[in-house]
This record gives sequence, structure tokens and C-alpha cells, in this order.
Amino acid sequence: MLEGAELYFNVDHGYLEGLVRGCKASLLTQQDYINLVQCETLEDLKIHLQTTDYGNFLANQTNPLTVSKIDTEMRKRLCGEFEYFRNHSLEPLSTFLTYMTCSYMIDNVILLMNGALQKKSVKEILGKCHPLGRFTEMEAVNIAETPSDLFNAILVETPLAPFFQDCMSENALDELNIELLRNKLYKSYLETFYKFCKNHGDVTAEVMCPILEFEADRRAFIITLNSFGTELSKEDRETLYPTFGKLYPEGLRLLAQAEDFDQMKSIVDHYVVYKPLFEAVGGSGGKTLEDVFYEREVQMNVLAFNRQFHYGVFYAYVKLKEQEMRNIVWIAECISQRHRTKINSYIPIL
Amino acid sequence: MSGKDRTEIFPSRMAQTIMKARLKGAQTGRNLLKKKSDALTLRFRQILKKIIETKMLMGAVMREAAFSPAEAKFAAGDVGTTVIQNVKKAQVKIRAKKDNVAGVTLPVFEHYHEGTDSYELTGLARGGKRLAKLKRNYAKAVELLVELASLRTSFVTLDEAIKITDRCVNAIEHIIIPRIDIITEAGRTGARGGGTEPGGFSWEVSRMFRVEEKAEENLPGGAASGV
Repeated sequence: MLEGAELYFNVDHGYLEGLVRGCKASLLTQQDYINLVQCETLEDLKIHLQTTDYGNFLANQTNPLTVSKIDTEMRKRLCGEFEYFRNHSLEPLSTFLTYMTCSYMIDNVILLMNGALQKKSVKEILGKCHPLGRFTEMEAVNIAETPSDLFNAILVETPLAPFFQDCMSENALDELNIELLRNKLYKSYLETFYKFCKNHGDVTAEVMCPILEFEADRRAFIITLNSFGTELSKEDRETLYPTFGKLYPEGLRLLAQAEDFDQMKSIVDHYVVYKPLFEAVGGSGGKTLEDVFYEREVQMNVLAFNRQFHYGVFYAYVKLKEQEMRNIVWIAECISQRHRTKINSYIPIL
Repeated sequence: MSGKDRTEIFPSRMAQTIMKARLKGAQTGRNLLKKKSDALTLRFRQILKKIIETKMLMGAVMREAAFSPAEAKFAAGDVGTTVIQNVKKAQVKIRAKKDNVAGVTLPVFEHYHEGTDSYELTGLARGGKRLAKLKRNYAKAVELLVELASLRTSFVTLDEAIKITDRCVNAIEHIIIPRIDIITEAGRTGARGGGTEPGGFSWEVSRMFRVEEKAEENLPGGAASGV
């Protein structure tokens, strides 16, 4: 779009970029993780977290401290930071940030749909929704009787509407398996997000597109791997692959025909980037493919900070913060269940 | 003892035979019951050993199973809510069957699967492997729990049965047999009836008395008629 982003970027987004870089500097380092791993109880963990940027976020918690409380508080904190970014952002950054929340919205919508169909109370489901995926029509979900009702009345107002239209006709909404629906929505969301970044051009496209391509390829691999031995047919599987990325189109066609992990590995031989990842599977420490992909994602997100004047830093920051939350929850679970053998399987970030 | 426990028996040869038969019956009954008690005790010990083994295994399996949600959450995010919301019917059910040990029916629980896995596609895009492992761990834990439940119900039932059987055995051995014993003993040794022996009657002596009575009857009659 606008060449020479260095000249114009800071006018609209300089403050927020500075802010997000400051937040990124407060992510836990390897030393912090070593300290956390050595804790004996959750109280120790809390004390150690007080010395980091988390500060006294657990100060108001009553005893006893549980892992889910830590998780909720961390999530609230991240949500607060994100809302601050969103409220202070201008176009097109605000659209970008809205795109980021879409993935959480998809999860929330699926949860609400399920709950509405099972006639569960809306309040308790709302409590379980991801705070980043909030949208204003959430409370109104229990009015709808069938999924098509739900779509017509409520979802059509949300940013998710185009994804639903992409997936299927409204009639098919009823019979579809909830997991297939979730994955189709996500595929459609990724494609739209990718197009948005690409159309924006400039440094954002240079940084975000590889990240999103990796996400698409990773989804294709994981879906294939997890669908071995289930009832998911090959055609159905192919409809869940996002249609962009390094694997598109030949790799996806080959993947759709794959029957087991070795066949997948032979397909990957054609793609230089992914070959070493597949080689790293197994080995000592029993890494699964997903672990390897998580590590790669973290690497790419950290690299995003090496360039300036693009929106990718926001995306990367949120993803890294999430990974950090997952790490802390993992360590906390290992400590509280006294199952310390795998406590070092967190994914180090910095 | 003597006052209350006196068994009133007519002192005849037939009564003695009947008493001896009863003694024999009591002894056979006691032996049969003892065999039953022994068989039950043997099974009891086996079950106890198995319970101990299963409990040890249970500890390890439960620990593993309790840790797998944490692993799954690390890879797949929070699937707990979706899973709980989608629950419709039980997949693993239990059937109760009966097992017979020496006449005692023991309930035995057997689990079976019904229906397909409705959570096959959960975690399709993230964490599927960990979720599969989680399912396997908990399935194993449930199987062990069912087995443990089965063993413990058998344990309790057997315990009751053994107590009752032992009580019968002891009752026969220490009360009924001695009682009959004393009657037959008294008959054999010819102890004088009355006094300190319960139900004490001397068969031979009383026979003698009968004979004497008869003789006296005849004698006075004869003597009377003789005069």
C-alpha cells in the first residue's frame, strides 16, 4: 500500500508499537523459568512471579491457590492489555486486532451453540468463554432454538458472518458435526486474515504472511495426523485444509491421500522448510509433532520483533504471551500434582 | 447346667440308636460345613491378594491419569467445557454377573463399551494425540476401578458368608455334638441317671429295673395266686 512505511507508521500507531514492545520486554526469561521450576509449592510460584512483571496479580486470591485461579488471573491481565491496545488503535490496526480476536470468537460461538442446543444456562457458559473473544450479542444466544435461527438472528451481526457463509448453506448448519464446523470456520477465518494482510502489503505482509502460511500448513499436518483412525473421510479432511501456504495446492492433495505418519514424512521430503521439523519428532524426550510446531511458531513470533513499523508485533506479542501462560500453567500443574518428571517440557521463549 | 439342659429321652434301645445316628449326622454336617468354610477362606485369601495388587496398580494409574488433563491442556487448550457439554449417554457401562463359590453367590462386575466415541474429532486441529492418550489413561483407570469394585463386593460378601459358616461350625462342634455325645456316652458307660449328669440314664440299669419290676409283678401275682 504505502511505501515508506517508516515515514507514516508512527503517526497513527507509534505509541501502541512502543507499548507492545515494552510489554514484550517483560516476558519471562530462561532464568525466570529456571526459578519457577525449582518451586516446591504454588505459594512459592506466586512469590517468584511477584518479582517478575506479573507483580501482585495474585494478591487478592483467597487460599488455597489453585492452578485454574492462576490461569484465570493471567488471562484477565492479557485481556486487559489487549483491550487497551484495541481501544487506542486506529484503522487499519483496529481491523487487524479484530481479526486476531476472531479465532477466540469462533471457539466461544461453538461453545454457545452447543450449550444453547443442550439447553444449558447461558450464564454458566458465558463464564467459560474466552474473554478475548467477547462480542456484544453473546448474551442473546439462548433465544435461538436451532442453529439456523442462531445464525440468522445473531451471528449475522458479528465479524464471523462471512466465515459462516463461506462454509456452507444455512440448512447444513444443523447436521454438521460441531468439530467439523469449528475447523471449517477456522479455515475460512485464516484465509480471510491472510488476504487482509496481503492486501495491506508493506512490512506487515512481509512479516505476517509467512507466519500465517506456517499456521495453515501446520493445521493441515495436524488435522491429517489426528484423523488417522477416525471416521473422517479423505474428502472431508481435504475440505478442512486452508487454501494457502507452502503446501497449497500439490502438498494438500498429497496429504489428503496420506494414510499414516510415514507417508506424511515422505510428502514432507519435498519441502525443505518442514523436513528438519519432522526429523526432530520422536528422538530423546519423546517430542510429538505438535511440540515441534509450537517451538517453530515461537521462533517465528520472536523474529517478528526484529522489524519495525508493522502490525505483526501485536499478533506475535499475544501469541507469545499465550505460550508463556501455557508454560506457567504447565509448571504449576507439575508442581501441584508432584509429577516433576516432565516439568521441563515447557517451551522456552526468550 | 444340669437343671436346664436336661434332654428328656425315653431310655430305650431305639432311642439310643437314634441318638447315635444323630451324632453321626451332626459330625458329617460339621465336616461339610468345615469344608465349605475352608473353600470360602481360600477364595477369600486369593481375593485379598488380588485387591492388594490392584490397589497398588490403581495408585500409579490414577496418578498418570490425573496428570494427562494437564498435558492435554498444554497442547490443546481448554477442551473440558466442550466435552462436558456434549455428554449424552454413557459409553462404558457395567453388567453384574453371579459367580458361585461353594454355594455362596458372589456378584461380579464386568464393563462393556456401548456406542461409538462421540469425541473422536475433538482436538482435530490441536492436541489430538494428547487427548487420545488422555482417553486411554482414563479408560484404563475406569477398568481398574470396576475390577476393584467387583473384588471388594466379593470380599464383603465372602466375609459375611465365612462368619456365618464358622459360627455354624463352632455351634455344632461345641454345643450340639457335646450334648448328643453326653447322652450316648451316658448310655455306654452305664452311669446312674439323675444327679449331676444331664439327661443321664443308664440303659442297662433301667433295663434291670424294668426286669425287676416285671419280675416283682409276676412274683406277687404268682405269690398271691400261689397262696
